[in-house]
Amino acid sequence: MKVYAPDGRIGRPPTPLAPSPPVLTALRIAVLDNGKPNARLLLTRAAEQLAARTGAAVTLVTDKGPGHNAATACSDQVLDRITKEVDLVLTGSAD
Amino acid sequence: MSTDLLDLADDSPEALLSLYESRGWGDGLPMVPPTTERVAAALAALGDVDPDEVIATLPPRFGEATRRVIAINAVLAGCPPECLPVLVSATRALARPELNLRGVNATTHPVAPLLIVSGEIVEQAGYNSGLGAFGPGNRANATTGRAIRLLLMHVAGAVPGPGDASTQGGPAKYAYCVAENLAATPWESYPASVGVDAPSAVTVHCGEAPHNFHDMESDDPGRILDKCASAMASLGQNNVVIAQGEYFVALGPEHAATIASHGWSRRDVTSYLFDRARLPAGAIRAQFESIAWEPWMYAVPDDGPMPMTGRADNIRVFVCGGAGKHSSVIPSWGMTKSVTLPVTP
Repeated sequence: MKVYAPDGRIGRPPTPLAPSPPVLTALRIAVLDNGKPNARLLLTRAAEQLAARTGAAVTLVTDKGPGHNAATACSDQVLDRITKEVDLVLTGSAD
Repeated sequence: MSTDLLDLADDSPEALLSLYESRGWGDGLPMVPPTTERVAAALAALGDVDPDEVIATLPPRFGEATRRVIAINAVLAGCPPECLPVLVSATRALARPELNLRGVNATTHPVAPLLIVSGEIVEQAGYNSGLGAFGPGNRANATTGRAIRLLLMHVAGAVPGPGDASTQGGPAKYAYCVAENLAATPWESYPASVGVDAPSAVTVHCGEAPHNFHDMESDDPGRILDKCASAMASLGQNNVVIAQGEYFVALGPEHAATIASHGWSRRDVTSYLFDRARLPAGAIRAQFESIAWEPWMYAVPDDGPMPMTGRADNIRVFVCGGAGKHSSVIPSWGMTKSVTLPVTP
C-alpha cells in the first residue's frame, strides 16, 4: 500500500554560507550581539583573541538594531552596514 | 501534486511508526496511515478548493503547507475531516509575521501554539468547550491540536534539536487546542472582541501551558481576579521582561458569571488585571539585565509597581470549561502576538 510523506516541498531553498576567507590577516572582524545575556562579552573576547592570533582587527561591535532582541531578526540597516564594512562576523545563535 | 507517496508494508500502526521513525517523522505516538483514500476524504471536507495551493511557508525549514499537506498531517493525527477548515485557517495564522513562528519554533522556551476555536464550527465539528475543555477525552480538540504539532514538526521542521531548541519541551507541544464556551460567555465572543466578525474563527496564541487559579468562595470579582493576578505576577515568566507579551485568561463559566453579575465588562477584567498583576520594578531590575519594556516602563522607580505587560489590551479573556471554580492563565512566550482569523477553507 501507499502512504503520503508528511513534510511537503521546501518552499525556500537554504541560503548557502559565504566561503570562509583562507587567511584572516588584515581582515576586519565584526561582533554581532544576538541579544542574549553575556553574548557581547563572550563574542568580543573571542573576536579579540582571534584578531590577536591572525593579525585581523575587530572594527565593529553592534547589536541587531532597533528593537534589539534575541528572538527577532537583525535589522536590514545593520546587515547592510556589516556587509559593507567588515569581512568576517562573529555572532551567536540561541543561548 | 507535490507530495511523495511511500510504500508501506501494511495498514498496521507498527508499520507506519517504523517507516516514519526511520525518516525522523512523527511525535512518538501511533498515527493513522495517510493513504490516498483517507487524505482525499479529508480534502473533500474543504469543498471546491485547490488542494495544492500553498497556504503558508513555515519556518525554520520553510516547508510549504498546502491543503493536501495539512490534510496528510490531519489524517496522521486522527483528525475528523470536519476539522480541516480550522487547521487550514490556523496554518494561515501561524504564518502571520507578528506571530513570529520562527522564534516560537526555535526558542529554548517551552512555548506551544494554543488554538482557540470559536463559533459555529465548535458544534459542527464536535469540539469540546465545556467540562475538561483542555482535555483529555475529545477527538476534535485532541487531534486538531496534534495535527498542528505534526505540521510544525514535519513541514516547519520544529523537531527537537535541529528545529526546536526547547530546553525541557512540554506536554502542550503534543496537542494544544480548546474551544470557546460561547453559551457560558457573558460578553461578546472572543473573536468579536478583537474585531473578527465571522460565523467561526480560530485564535492562535503562542504561550505556556495553562496555570490554574481557583476561588471556591468569592462573590466578588476582585477577589477572584486577585488570584489570577497573582498567577500572572511571577518572576519566572517571559512577560516580566517582554512588554509586548500577552496573557490569555481562560475563565471558567462560574467565575465569568460571578464577575459579570456585578456588571463587569471584559474590559473591566483586563483593566483590573493590568492594575493588579504587578511586581516592584526594582525586584525585576535586580533579576534581569535583558529587558524589552516599553519606553515609559523604564521610568518606573524601583519601588513602583511594574505591570507584567505593557498595556491592558495585551490581556485577553475568553471563557471555556464546565462546572467548578477553576480558571487558568496562559502566559506568552513574549516576542509574539496572537492572531485571530475567520475559519475558511
